[in-house]
Amino acid sequence: METQFDAIVVGTGISGGWAAKELCEKGLKTLVLERGRMIKHVEDYPTMNDDPWDYKTGDVITNETRKTQGKQSRTRYTTKESSKHFFVNDLDHPYNETNRFDWMRGYHVGGRSITWGRQSYRLTDFDFEANLKEGVAVDWPIRYKDIAPWYNYVEGYIGVSGQNVGLPQFPDGNYLKPMDMNCVEDHLQSSISKAYKDRILTIGRTAIITEGTKPGLGRMSCQYRARCMRGCPFGAYFSSVSSTLPAAEKTGNMTLRPNSIVHEVMYDADKKRATGVRVIDTETKEVIEFKAKVIFLCASTVASTSILMQSKSEAFPNGMGNASDQLGRNIMDHHLGVGASASTDDFQDKYYFGRRNNGIYIPRFRNIGGDTNQKDFLRGYGYQGGGSRGGWTSKVAEMGYGAQFKEEVLKPGNWSIGLGGFGEVLPYEDNRMTLNYEKLDQWGLPTVTFDATIKENERNMRKDMQQQAVEMLENAGFKNVRGYDGDYALGLGIHEMGTARMGHDPKTSVLNKHNQVHEVPNVFVTDGSSMTSAGNVNPSLTYMALTARAANHAVEELKKMNL
Amino acid sequence: MDRRKALKNIGTGIGAIAVTPTVVGFFQSCQSAVSYTPVFVPQEDFGMLSSIMDLIIPSTDTPGAIELKLPEFIDAYADGVWNEDNKASFKEGWAAFKSAALEASGKANAGQLTAADWDAELAKHLKSGNPPAKGDLAAGFANQLRSLTVNAYKTNEFIGENVLAYAPVPGDYRGCVDLEETTGGKSWSL
Repeated sequence: METQFDAIVVGTGISGGWAAKELCEKGLKTLVLERGRMIKHVEDYPTMNDDPWDYKTGDVITNETRKTQGKQSRTRYTTKESSKHFFVNDLDHPYNETNRFDWMRGYHVGGRSITWGRQSYRLTDFDFEANLKEGVAVDWPIRYKDIAPWYNYVEGYIGVSGQNVGLPQFPDGNYLKPMDMNCVEDHLQSSISKAYKDRILTIGRTAIITEGTKPGLGRMSCQYRARCMRGCPFGAYFSSVSSTLPAAEKTGNMTLRPNSIVHEVMYDADKKRATGVRVIDTETKEVIEFKAKVIFLCASTVASTSILMQSKSEAFPNGMGNASDQLGRNIMDHHLGVGASASTDDFQDKYYFGRRNNGIYIPRFRNIGGDTNQKDFLRGYGYQGGGSRGGWTSKVAEMGYGAQFKEEVLKPGNWSIGLGGFGEVLPYEDNRMTLNYEKLDQWGLPTVTFDATIKENERNMRKDMQQQAVEMLENAGFKNVRGYDGDYALGLGIHEMGTARMGHDPKTSVLNKHNQVHEVPNVFVTDGSSMTSAGNVNPSLTYMALTARAANHAVEELKKMNL
Repeated sequence: MDRRKALKNIGTGIGAIAVTPTVVGFFQSCQSAVSYTPVFVPQEDFGMLSSIMDLIIPSTDTPGAIELKLPEFIDAYADGVWNEDNKASFKEGWAAFKSAALEASGKANAGQLTAADWDAELAKHLKSGNPPAKGDLAAGFANQLRSLTVNAYKTNEFIGENVLAYAPVPGDYRGCVDLEETTGGKSWSL
């Protein structure tokens, strides 16, 4: 077995796939390690063509599933019959909660890039400058201009459909043609344009091909089946297994090794460089050491942080790169589960064709200067939502039951529409994850303990998120407008981030502006753990752009013999 | 045996089987509710619930609840999906509905209740045009059973593939189209 490589990439999800592609394409012999099982595009999507009646009780979360995936089921959608195999067994992969924390994940090649929500938005300088301006946490060491070309590059490669709207707080991108809106969404869009000067409604920007093809394993345009989470036989949405990993494979430079749990980065104190990683082979139980000149940790926020924490040596008694004591702190997410829904008796003769697995989007309109600034909270939020027709009308209910009722329930009910907020969570030092060495997992490795909650800023923001959603739906003339503020705990947004933040100063941050561990420059961390603040948009696109940018830097530095 | 699966295989198997009277008889016997042992609903109640569901979704020019095995679906669903609270409240509602029907009919035990008795009780709760009063367990049960039956009906394979508008691979999305032209006024099944 070969154990010496130019580069090692830990993880095969959104970030790992990009690191693998970029490093391999730049000529580095790269070992790509994945803790879970192998997944091959299309052939390992067992449920991709299932209809709900193919399951005994429909496509729902069953009691049997809750026994082994109790925590993973907290989302109420990820562990349905059609997608539960892409989420971990909680009994095999336990974690601890001082406060409830929803840690949703899948251990397999492709990681959460197979099941992600695909919404793809750019951060802006409102985000990159916020910490500095407000004196919150530490300053981001980069600005929009540093990452913009990489957003452009990533969007062009993966395929993102969307509409350019020319708002400074919602930058335009490199988009494929936008998806259509339905008639209630059109109606809300024009109502908002008339009633508000500070906000707009647009179609969601999603990593789904809407025209032409993209590189990878035969990636083509969306067929509008809305079965993305199960894996797409058309490769229409972006995932590592359909796109970046095949690109890496094609170079002949990649060695992909599943069933390999990385638990430690090895360090040479004389050279002040990492030398490789220590791996447990989950099939043979063997511990193997692999060596490389450069290491990319892309194992996910919690896992990459946990690997650094376990990488203890005389030089790093509290974990690699943790001189600042910031490792594991500042954990963030996007808080959601708050908004409003409504219905209308109008548009009875209208319907849609196809199933669009994308929603509508109302970009941030709070705290971007002037009248938009709020007294009660910092930062902002966006809304995601959509309109649909379902259920049956009150007219049908009055028929009671029987032959005519039976005919009528087969007709679509009234249109309804919903707006759900996605709000920024601030970085708080005492929102943190730690390792518990008393409770070991089946590999003898420490388990993760979460102790984090949302606080006053988020709670105040939620009030506004609900109120504004109600107001916009009422202004549009919808009926039965109902606000809600549901059950939310950190993690439920499945956007956990920030536990190895980027910053200017090694005393207050873990990573530098190129995602290198300040103290160990040949270790790059490019997943969500690197985020200095959360912004209020879905973060995966940013992880991809940061990864491509960091990989480029790594290769330049290798050429200059700096690593 | 699943009748639809069996029928599907005919004609696609090795040398299409001629459907002789014997084979048809075999399928019909598969349909009978007698062969089903409920896992959630008590055996003695299963027939009663089946006849109530068949009043909600009766057999017309398309199959009704019993023929579509909707009672079997709901029984499996209750067992496999509901938590203990859901199960208990269904049972409580069912007991209230049953005793209300008994009282109205003046009969001594539930076994003597006919479809007409169930129909009268259902009508009381579902044809009044009023939503169920809070705390009225029998009315709550009638509404719940109707919802469950409709849900089972609309996620049924035969209805989903043959009666509702079924498009497993639409290939395109258009947001605002004419209902009649697109699906003939029916809902999409997916």
